[in-house]
Amino acid sequence: MAETTYLDAIREAMIEEMRRDPRVFLIGEDVGAYGGAFKTSAGMIEEFGAERVIDTPISEVAIVGAASGAALMGMRPIAEMQFIDFITCAYDILVNFTATSRYRVGSPCPIVIRGPAGGGTHGGPFHSLNPEAMFMNRPGLKIVAPGTAYDAKGLLKAAVRDDDPVLFIEHKYLYRRIKEELPTEDYIVPIGKANVRRSGSDLTIITWGSMIYVADDAAAELAKDGVSVEVIDLRSIIPFDEEAILNSVAKTNRVIILHEAPLTGGAGAEFAARIAEKAFDYLDAPIKRVAALDVPTPYSPPLEAAALPDKARLLAAARELLAY
Amino acid sequence: MTIDTHGLTRENLLEIDYFLRLTRTLEERLVALFRQAKVIGGLYRSLGQEGESVAAAYALDYALGDVVQPLIRNMGSILVAGAKPADIIKQYMAKGDSPTRGRELNIHFGHPARDGFIGQISMLGDMIPVMAGIVLAGRMQKRNLVGMAFIGDGASSTGAFYEGMNFATVQRLPLVVVLENNGYAYSTPTSKQSAVKSLADKAQAFGCASETVDGNDVLATYAAAKRAVERGREGGGVTLIEAKTFRMKGHAEHDNQSYVPQALIEEWSAKDPVVRFEAALVEAGIATAAEFESIQSRVRREVDAATDEAERSPMPRPEEAGMGLFAGDGYWEAKEG
Amino acid sequence: MPQMGESIAEGTVVKWLKKPGEKVERDEPLLEISTDKVDAEIPSPASGTLAEILAQEGQTVGVNSVVARITAAGEAAAPAPTPAAHAPSAPAAQAPSAPPPPAPAAPPVAPPPPPTTPPPPAPKPAPQPEAAAPTGQPSNPATQQPSNPVTPQPRDPETAQPRDPAPAQPRDPDSLDERRRTKSSPLVRKIAQENNVDISRIQGSGVSGRVTKNDIIDFMQRPSPAATQQPPAAEQPAPASRPAAMTFTPGENNRIEPLSVMRKKIAQHMVLSKQTSAHVTTVFEVDFTNIDKLRRRYKDAYAERGAKLTFLPFVIQAIVAGLREFPVINASMDESSVIYHRDLNIGIAVALEWGLIVPVVKNADEKNILGLSKAINDLGERARTKKLTPDDVQGGTFTITNPGIYGGLFGTPIINQPQVAILGVGGVKKRPVVVETKEGDVIAIRSMCILSLTFDHRLIDGAIADQFMASVRAFIEAGQFTL
Repeated sequence: MAETTYLDAIREAMIEEMRRDPRVFLIGEDVGAYGGAFKTSAGMIEEFGAERVIDTPISEVAIVGAASGAALMGMRPIAEMQFIDFITCAYDILVNFTATSRYRVGSPCPIVIRGPAGGGTHGGPFHSLNPEAMFMNRPGLKIVAPGTAYDAKGLLKAAVRDDDPVLFIEHKYLYRRIKEELPTEDYIVPIGKANVRRSGSDLTIITWGSMIYVADDAAAELAKDGVSVEVIDLRSIIPFDEEAILNSVAKTNRVIILHEAPLTGGAGAEFAARIAEKAFDYLDAPIKRVAALDVPTPYSPPLEAAALPDKARLLAAARELLAY
Repeated sequence: MTIDTHGLTRENLLEIDYFLRLTRTLEERLVALFRQAKVIGGLYRSLGQEGESVAAAYALDYALGDVVQPLIRNMGSILVAGAKPADIIKQYMAKGDSPTRGRELNIHFGHPARDGFIGQISMLGDMIPVMAGIVLAGRMQKRNLVGMAFIGDGASSTGAFYEGMNFATVQRLPLVVVLENNGYAYSTPTSKQSAVKSLADKAQAFGCASETVDGNDVLATYAAAKRAVERGREGGGVTLIEAKTFRMKGHAEHDNQSYVPQALIEEWSAKDPVVRFEAALVEAGIATAAEFESIQSRVRREVDAATDEAERSPMPRPEEAGMGLFAGDGYWEAKEG
Repeated sequence: MPQMGESIAEGTVVKWLKKPGEKVERDEPLLEISTDKVDAEIPSPASGTLAEILAQEGQTVGVNSVVARITAAGEAAAPAPTPAAHAPSAPAAQAPSAPPPPAPAAPPVAPPPPPTTPPPPAPKPAPQPEAAAPTGQPSNPATQQPSNPVTPQPRDPETAQPRDPAPAQPRDPDSLDERRRTKSSPLVRKIAQENNVDISRIQGSGVSGRVTKNDIIDFMQRPSPAATQQPPAAEQPAPASRPAAMTFTPGENNRIEPLSVMRKKIAQHMVLSKQTSAHVTTVFEVDFTNIDKLRRRYKDAYAERGAKLTFLPFVIQAIVAGLREFPVINASMDESSVIYHRDLNIGIAVALEWGLIVPVVKNADEKNILGLSKAINDLGERARTKKLTPDDVQGGTFTITNPGIYGGLFGTPIINQPQVAILGVGGVKKRPVVVETKEGDVIAIRSMCILSLTFDHRLIDGAIADQFMASVRAFIEAGQFTL
């Protein structure tokens, strides 16, 4: 059976949802005639027409705002940010209007905002953002970050069908590097459920996005030393699978949270605090976070590699914890 | 003397007067409640701007699904769309059975599809792209609905305004934008807000139609709005109407607008839109002062009843503070009592 | 520095037998070391020249740390067999080994009772409770290293912390190392609390000697009694419970000499034992004449077989018979249970020039007099030549000491934890005694010996102790030994 790339999994999800539900449409920059800057929406305007695959001006506020207005009227828009970095231009309307619409006035606003995030592709400071922490503290917005093609497709479908706004963070590094065989039948991955990627007993690594593969590599290497590592792919940041996290920590008693975004104020801080609060008695070592340096992501490969977390840093942290 | 009523019947005109007086009286009641510490938070009057608010909103056809979006000084517009005075008072009193269950304040309420109006958010300018999306959805749903968004002279400086107008115009959406130029954005006079000679000239930045109108002339404003609504409904796209008016009171009840020259206030108080409208109708023989008195009595009764209802309402239950963020807890679906 | 026992984490260089620049042959004795369990002579691992000494005499270093370098002829220094671990510096670099003086220099006062009784160190699993010092405690709180496959052993020098088992110097209770050692982690504290285990009694394999989850689980899985819930171990000096210490300054009338590792251990163990057990001594006068006769008869024959025949094997046989009859005296205890040891491993206290050590005759019940004699001789010889192995000093269930060796009447020995009794053999003297005969009472010259049994009255009541001793006496006086 043919394998599907992570990127194609996203496109398949959009196409299948648009076929399934006439209320779904795609709106963004260069998504129509060009098929998307990364070709994520290739072929879609041909199938669904310009009315449902809308090319916009360079106007993130208008993209997110119009999608929100349309959602209030019952549509199911998918708003694309050409690079997720540009969601910051629409930060105001997304967190103040869209995310709060249900809580404030009881008006559901079910939009999906999706876009390529993450580093490792030498995109420089404006094309490498991992945005989850920026939005975590603004209630009303769900946030998901798939790392596999399977999860990308299933989570995007779940996001489209969700009655609340969802920020769908896709990792550009994985676009064409990840290929998997996917089910042909319709499926969703539920928002808010983590995946235990690898079962273990000595150490837990909690992570998501492209970092799941770094965790995999580190776990395989530690296995050679007889260390059994459990890797939890959170997949959803808001809401997050607290139960899976706590269960794992109760089992292994040592935990590292790994994310590609910078350390200070990163999502890992929330999970670390939650673990300390609720699994204190199960900790046999301090909670560690492995994350990027607190800098904008630099462009030149040696700088970028040094700024972002990698297997070596993860292994060093793991070994410190195991020896504690 | 005859006047051009632009197709409005006598019933329409009396109804417009009703909405004008309802707006004014309701706001006066809110001021009283505010001074009795029954209103929580700030109170914003639209004194002097009731005319353009009511007149423009009256040009929409709510049966077709048209949607109006007020700013803080357009309470009259949502009354036209069907908002209940009791709901507005409950909102101001932060009651638990207000339309937003105490979560949002003053006239920040309303669902476009259900109510025909939608409340703004405080980040000015944001509602323009949202309204563009609303009418875009209407088009996708094959409904010929028109949206009307009010925007102030100050808010027309925001990036969101430009992005929304640009997007709506290039998409040729049926959107009427009433830019009510009342001379001041809080304490900032329009001369400090923008260097354009006429705010309607901003339409050139987007490529949409525009018009300037005396916002204190109810009939003229209605006519301009009607033209714009028809243009949109016929596929002609966006119209930017600059309605020149004046803010007779401070930004809010706590602001005594001492920065506004007294002469300006006096000049504009002579142009009160309600007074002018009623005078024109009387002069044209279309209505009488007694009829206006009768309308006022009705308005007073309705406002009293609304006040009583609102005062009887309970405050929200504290335990509900964490509910209703996402679908799933059924908070908004469950009806009270 | 070799690891001379599973739970040993450090050793002290006592004496270098070679100097830098000297040639050394493979297996030739290179240095002498002292550890908590044994002292030993270390042979050279290679032939060549002793190029560099890295650990000086008197210095205590962690196991596996490099103590010297040997160069083969014409080669660069041989790589260390294991990477150097961070070596805790000699006592001089840390807090002074003397207790800090009290603020006002007070005259010595009678020691107040300590506010809390420190626990005995965790006993080794039955039937081999540890006995390293003569009458005191085992030198390390129980357990061996847990099997933690990742514990870097040796550690990466950049990330490692020094192991910190029984330190030779007082600890600062507020230091990070100490907090780790005593507070460990939330998980370990929870396990400890739920299972009534005292963390400070467990040898930790984590940083700063922290007790890890595996450490405490391994500890609990050993068939040894759980520790009592006692406050921190006796290794901590706990200055608050000490009497106002006398301070001495060098001067005309004082000469100050630092305590050896062994002496410190002995001091700690003695005090700890006294604070743990309810020491009572019962004294029995025993007629050793029959032993004496046997000894004189077989002395020469034994000497030919290389076994010096003393009173001791006979006493051991009598003890063994008594322990069979009164197994509670061959036991250990904790707060809630008695642990009866199946094996009869008799420790024999050996006086050395530099201290005391108690090698153990394992399964003494399976040996006859000859076997016992040989065992005793062998252990004593190896003790004196520092050739004992850790196994030689572990697992004792009862101890015999010889306070009468220099002619004393009897002694009141201190129990060797975690045992519950110790026998002191006084001097064997010829005395006139009254002997009852069929013909009536007569006075005879008999070889008499006073045996004193110190027992732990927590477990053993006087009646039992005395019955035991009566049985031992009867056995000895009957003279029916298995030669």
